This record gives sequence, structure tokens and C-alpha cells, in this order.
Amino acid sequence: MIKIPTKVLVVDDEKDFVEMLSLRLKEVGEKVTPAYSGKECLETLENREIDVVILDIKMPGMDGIETLREINKRFPLAEVIMLTGHGTIETAVEGMKLGAFDYLLKPADFDDLIAKLGGAKKRKDEQEERIRKAEARLLVRKTGGIF
Amino acid sequence: MENIRLLLVDDEVRFRQTIAKRLTIRGLVPEQAGNGEECLSILEKSPMDVVVLDVKMPGMNGIEVLHHIKKRYPKTEVILLTGHATTQDGVQGIKSGAFDYLTKPIELEHLLGKIMQAHEKIRREEEKLREAEFRAKMEQQMIATERLASLGTLATGVAHEINNPLAIIKESAGWIKLLLKKKEMAKMPHKQDFEMALDKIENSIERSKRITHQLLGFVRKSDSVLSEVDLKELVDEAVQLVGREAANKDIEFVQELDVSLGPIWSDPYQLRQVLINLLTNAIHATGAGGKITIILEPVGEDVALTVQDTGEGIPKENLERIFEPFFSTKSPGESTGLGLYVTRGIIEKLGGEIGVESRLGHGARFCIKLPKYHKIKKGSDENNRADLLDKITKYNLSTH
Repeated sequence: MIKIPTKVLVVDDEKDFVEMLSLRLKEVGEKVTPAYSGKECLETLENREIDVVILDIKMPGMDGIETLREINKRFPLAEVIMLTGHGTIETAVEGMKLGAFDYLLKPADFDDLIAKLGGAKKRKDEQEERIRKAEARLLVRKTGGIF
Repeated sequence: MENIRLLLVDDEVRFRQTIAKRLTIRGLVPEQAGNGEECLSILEKSPMDVVVLDVKMPGMNGIEVLHHIKKRYPKTEVILLTGHATTQDGVQGIKSGAFDYLTKPIELEHLLGKIMQAHEKIRREEEKLREAEFRAKMEQQMIATERLASLGTLATGVAHEINNPLAIIKESAGWIKLLLKKKEMAKMPHKQDFEMALDKIENSIERSKRITHQLLGFVRKSDSVLSEVDLKELVDEAVQLVGREAANKDIEFVQELDVSLGPIWSDPYQLRQVLINLLTNAIHATGAGGKITIILEPVGEDVALTVQDTGEGIPKENLERIFEPFFSTKSPGESTGLGLYVTRGIIEKLGGEIGVESRLGHGARFCIKLPKYHKIKKGSDENNRADLLDKITKYNLSTH
């Protein structure tokens, strides 16, 4: 079976990190877009279809949690995995309460990341599937089942 | 009144005995001395609170005796007895440190009053001294606490800053590894050398990561989960986990666990970590054939857990520092210097206290006090320092 690439947006103010992680993710067959700030992240989501956002919590300007709130509001279907190098798991927990799929501690294990990426993609696919079915039911009801 | 230790010194036997008898009737039994030399030899054997001292005596006179007393027993108060015509002796005496003087013939009530005043002064001085000692101790403790708190903040900050570049190194190494696995790289010269070097890089990243994560308190698998904890079981488990290492050094474990102790409400995973840390430290400190004793007993609303070893002990200058992050006497690869720092953090988070006693050559003894029932406080990281200061203030109040 051919792997369907996950469209990943990597957001971190550490350019080197974004670059290297993107290279690796591309190498294993994902489609990666980089962003270096919360603002850039939201702009990218505006213009591109993204499945999963890998989001650093601590960034100058708009931080991860703020960005996460905006993503939820404006792009509710995008899944978010948070990255934290920060001293408090509490922030990560707060993020999960806000609807993030999961979190990882920096420096993250690549296999862990891939596994969580897969999980996030699956949740998104399922959600979209449910929406599609619901829409289909709606259509059936509207047309009375007669096409 | 009988707890005042009083010495009466006068060469006039009749006068002395009369006063002594009358004081005895009033409930104050004095010792007696007939001259200065006798007075000093009595003081040498049994310390006195108040000495009533005649100035005019053959041999060593009262003023001389007073000098000796003040030099050797500064806490002892002296009341001088002077003749009617020699009140200037009294004044000189007070300048030399006497509490007061009375002019003969003396009135008993007057003497009694002076003795009580002198005794009261001693009591006040002692109290002042105790208070000063206590304050000094508290201040020292505060300094230690603040130092620990700021060191902790610093360490956490450093750990966080290091995690970011560490992540980049990790990604880069991972990327090279991925590239090396490609088909076209199969015949690359020195490929094995590259792979070996990459393995070393990755191992070192893991090592650094362990340090930073430990520092940030990520040792726990998840956030604090409180449940019923049977400490006796936990001790058993921890002893088994470190058992092999102990067996290699022929170290014996002695468990003195109070059977009546029921389960407590706390975090089993973190407590296991604490136990393993303490036991591992004890094993490292203890030589072959040594003994490690684990004592578990209820103390009021708390539980006391003691780990005691027969090891080399901790030198005094290190005792204050062992809970600091990165403090270690082991070589860098062997220890991160974070074990006790993390242990202390966990115990305080769980509402307990940890202390250490040790003498060089006589082993060390770590005592933990844990509440039987613990509630988690929110945002404990920020409040940790305030909490500690608060605790010290409370301790201060409760011991007064």
C-alpha cells in the first residue's frame, strides 16, 4: 500500500530545528511546510490544507497556547501536537485541554513523533469521515432518499 | 524559689549562718563559703546563679573574687555586701560587673529582693541568648532555602535553554542516519565509522536529555497521581529493585517496618523514585559487608521513613549542599548530581520534609516525614519558595 503523506506544518522559532525536522519528515514521506512563528503558522493554515500542526509552546510573540486557541477557532479540523522544552508539563496539559492531540518533550524521540503524527492524522481522518457521513445523511433527508 | 543556686560568702561565721538560716526559712537554701578561695573552689565544682559576696575579707578580698568570678563564670551574678563606711567598694564592684551592692547591716527582705532580681536578669539573658541562637539558625535556614530555590530556578532555566539546541542536534544526527540508510550510500567509504560516531552522538544526546528532563521534573511518567500507597510494599519493591547491586557488595538490608501502619494517600510512582534514589545512594556510600536499615513508623498524623547506612558518611561541609542541583562527589559520567535534588522536590511536592544527619565515618541517615493524607496544590512550582518561607515562619511561631 502506498503511504498517503500527512500534510504537516512544523512551527518553531528555532529555524535549525524546523529545517532538520522537516528534512527527516520529508524523508519518511510526509509533506512538510515550515513556519517560524505563531503568526506565520496561522497565515499558512489560511492558504494551505494542513492535517497536523507540530507546534512549539514557547515562542516569542504569539506563544504556542495562544496560537493553539486561534487554530481551534479558525481551523477546527487541524490536529495539533505540541512540543515543549519548557519546565512545566502543566502548559502541555492546558494545551491538551484546549483540544491538542498530544504533546512531546524536547528533544523528542523521532519514532514517538511519527507514532503521534499517525495518531493525529487518524483522528482527523475519522472526524472528516463522520462529517462526510453526516452530510450524506443530511442530503438523503433533504432529497427524501430519491435521487 | 528553690531552683535558684545561691552561694553565700562571708568570713564572719555567725553573720553568714544567721543569714543562711533565715534564707532557708524563706525557701532558699544557700551554699556557704568562709573566704574567697573557698568560694572559687565551690564554683569550680558546682555552678551558681547568684553569689552574695562580702567585700571585706582576709586573704582574697571581695573585689578580687568578683574579678575571678566574672572572668570564669560570666553568667553568674554577684551581689556585694559592703561595710557602712566603704560604699565606694560597692560602686567599684558594679563597675567591675557586680549586679548590685548592699550595705551592712542588711535587711533580709532587701537581700531577698536583690537575689530575685539578679536571678530574673539571668533568666532574661538566657532567653535572649536562646532567641538569638534560634534566629541565627532560622536565618541560616532561610539563606539555604533561598539559595536552593534560586539555584533551582537557574537550573530549570538552563535545562530549558539546552533542550532546544539538543533537539536540533538530535534531528540532525537522525537525518544523517536516515541518509546513510539510503541505497546509494551502501558503498560509501568509512560508512561504519560514520555510523559509530552517530551512535555516540545519539547516546550523548540521550544522556543530556536525561539530565535536562530530570532537572525539569520530567522523571515522572505523568503528572502526580495520588492513590492509596502501602509504604511497606513500596519499600519491599524498592529493595528488590536495587537488590542485585547490594548483593554484589554483600550489603545487608534491615527492614524495621511498623506492621500497624496502614496505607497513606500519596503518589506511589514518585515515592518509589525517592526510595530508589535513597537506597542507591546508600549502596554507593556503603562498603562491602555494610548494612542499610529502613525504618517505617507512624508519627502522629505523619509517617516517618528513615534510610540509614553504615557507609563513609557525609563531611560536614557537604551536608548543607547535598540537596543542591548538580552537587555530587561522584565523577561526571556516574552521577548527574540531581538525585537528592529531585528527591527533595518530590517530597516537598507531596507535603513532606526530608532531612539528613551524618558524621564522617559513621554513616548517614536520611529522614523523610510524609503526611498520611496529601492534597495536591496547584501551580506548586511558582509557590514553592513562598511555601517554604511560609513554613519557616510557621515553624518560628510554633516553637515560641
